[in-house]
Amino acid sequence: MIEPSSRYHAVPTTTYTFPDGRTVAHLRRRFLPRPEELTAVGEHVVAAGDRLDLIAARRCGDPEQSWRIADANRAMRPDELTAVPGRRLRITLPAEASAPGVGGGFAR
Amino acid sequence: MTAQALHLMLLVGDVVPAPAPAALVDALRGARITSASGRTGGFQLTFAVSAGSEPARAVMPDGALHPRKRVVVAVVLAGRCHVLMDGVITHQEMHAAREPGRSFLVVTGEDLSALMDLEHVRRAYPGLPPHLRAATVCASYAQYGITPRTVAPVLTDQPNPLLDIPVQSSTDLAYLRSTAADVGHVFHVEHGPAPGVSTAYWGPQNRDGALQPALTTGCGAADNVEELSFAFDALADSDQRTHRLEPPSTTASEVIAPEPRLLRRSLAASPAQVQRTGTLGDQTGRTLTRTMLAGLGSRLATDAVTGRGTLDVLRYGHVLSAHRLVGVRGAGQAYDGRYFVAGVTHDLTRDTFRQHFTLVRDGLGADTRTVTP
Repeated sequence: MIEPSSRYHAVPTTTYTFPDGRTVAHLRRRFLPRPEELTAVGEHVVAAGDRLDLIAARRCGDPEQSWRIADANRAMRPDELTAVPGRRLRITLPAEASAPGVGGGFAR
Repeated sequence: MTAQALHLMLLVGDVVPAPAPAALVDALRGARITSASGRTGGFQLTFAVSAGSEPARAVMPDGALHPRKRVVVAVVLAGRCHVLMDGVITHQEMHAAREPGRSFLVVTGEDLSALMDLEHVRRAYPGLPPHLRAATVCASYAQYGITPRTVAPVLTDQPNPLLDIPVQSSTDLAYLRSTAADVGHVFHVEHGPAPGVSTAYWGPQNRDGALQPALTTGCGAADNVEELSFAFDALADSDQRTHRLEPPSTTASEVIAPEPRLLRRSLAASPAQVQRTGTLGDQTGRTLTRTMLAGLGSRLATDAVTGRGTLDVLRYGHVLSAHRLVGVRGAGQAYDGRYFVAGVTHDLTRDTFRQHFTLVRDGLGADTRTVTP
């Protein structure tokens, strides 16, 4: 059971059968969105001691959404995003809201 | 939750919607959107206007807010996108005030099922059972991003092409609604998950699946609803009976509609007792299967327990959506538990986002000991 707020929510499951006949259900691979296709709605300048979950809580309203900031900034190691103070992080809309021909709107 | 957390997106267009011009979004003062199970949803957008401004030009025949233009309203809350409305404009009103700065423009519309209600159609569907007929009708609206999702009726109703051929002689929407009511199903258009994509749902009221975050009342600081009231109507549900005369015999036999549990799960520990007996009309010449399905449908049309309330979305932290289940806590032993969200009205202004909701269930008492989260 995957929560709707999880990055794995829309990822389908599949089963694998071992040579000895056991079957295991597992998630398929999750493909990352291309960061340049996500609509940017803001920017966050990293301060000393910043953490990704704090940024997500302030910019998205939910600390568990920090994976969206990692996705938007092409991060292989999320810790590196906040390692150097002064780095500018992109804040974007979710992938389904920035589909081609969609985006913009007003931020409150 | 900070004000940063909520983004509203407004998309307008002819067939494929595109982001609205910034001037139009700046002039947007409020939006009111309704969605309900088995009914057409509606929306109302209020813009502040002055004589030469962008919204005043947008209502001209080639403008963005002319009737028949498509409008999509979506919000991004806590990193998730919720499409509240995907519809077409049907009506506009201009209120011109004598003092400057008080004029406003109200644009009203209905969801995409309004497009299915524009033309009278005569079409025959030889040999197709009802759910395949519904899918065929919905398929002609694929250009609006509508995907049909249809569920077969509980009793097989396969028309024999030698005896009768189902014929549609009404608008598409009226036909979908009447075929759904004949087998105890509902028809409505659900929006999302992405803007511009919708699902035309023709099937039983969906009373399965995960619960939405619970509505809490009477728990002091943990409350997340502003008000919540319940009503229990003992006469809402009625048994449906009808008399049938099969051609070879001369005595009429009585048909009693099957138990509603055949089509939907009960959400209450003690479902309400049936107090009344109703009669089912217009069943002459119908097969036994169809009469039973129609009886089932009319028994399902009503629920004994109704709850109404209001919540502030930023306090609740989620957008409560219709057509799904939700848990209630703090309302007492009789009214706690799981409910089906039958309808929601979203009320957005520049600084508030409120929802008015209607919950339904078939009786009293919680059938579960916990609700999420």
